[in-house]
Amino acid sequence: MTNNYLLFRVAERLLGVKLQGAIEILPWRRSRPVPLAYSYIEGIMEYRGAIYPVFHLAQVLGLSRTGPIGFTAYAPGGDELRKGQSIILLEESGKPFGITVDSVVKMARFEDPQDPPADSKGIDMKLVKGIQFDDDQEITLLSFERLFHAG
Amino acid sequence: MDDKTRFLIVSLEGESFAIPITSLLEITVPRNIQKDQKLSEIFEGKFDYRGKLIPVVNLKKVLKLPGNPGSGLIVVKSSKGVLGLLVDTAKELLETSQKPLPMPRGVLNPSLNYYAGILRNREDLVVLLNEDGLLP
Repeated sequence: MTNNYLLFRVAERLLGVKLQGAIEILPWRRSRPVPLAYSYIEGIMEYRGAIYPVFHLAQVLGLSRTGPIGFTAYAPGGDELRKGQSIILLEESGKPFGITVDSVVKMARFEDPQDPPADSKGIDMKLVKGIQFDDDQEITLLSFERLFHAG
Repeated sequence: MDDKTRFLIVSLEGESFAIPITSLLEITVPRNIQKDQKLSEIFEGKFDYRGKLIPVVNLKKVLKLPGNPGSGLIVVKSSKGVLGLLVDTAKELLETSQKPLPMPRGVLNPSLNYYAGILRNREDLVVLLNEDGLLP
């Protein structure tokens, strides 16, 4: 089946997620940090009456450590580094959540991948659905079904 | 019909946390805290509250926050008895008809019992503390 995917960049990598249900793209904003949260959680934010957990996608995927997040991230000037980044609000199995990405690239239509790739090139395999190509650029398509299963 | 609940909002390292007023006994400042080496490191010591020595909890240590213990002390009743909690400041009273929203799944280990939910206060999200779950 062919579907719409939203393409975005994280740590120099081109990634995509299938569009299903409502989606919002917001300029990066500071989330409310929660003490003792998982290390890849930026915090929580409210948007239109719902509370979203905000995941630092690079850290979730194991792509890079861009420095401390959560409570320790807000040293003076720390927010400056995040300017230009975006938060994508998505939903998975009825649970709203946000991911932070370096930039949103575009929408594209792809065949849904059949099989996960043999090599996800450093990205945590549990979130990788498959690989597609667009203008010779390799795009790793993600699925967030297992995002809420910590570990 | 009055279904409003009141919460005390306190600040820790610039973020807001709340305690239900029904658990609050007193807002004071930490003075004459008696150190007690037998207590674990989450305790600053003991404090004379109306003639009774009660443990004083360094909330920032419990929540693994940086910074000094705090210059405000709130006394609360909990299922573990009467406790003193050190905070940076007691900020304001929030009177609201909101029901606390649950902490979203995936944020922290579900076995951690420190929070009772989330409240909105103007532009701020306030984390409601579970006074019964703060001590091991």
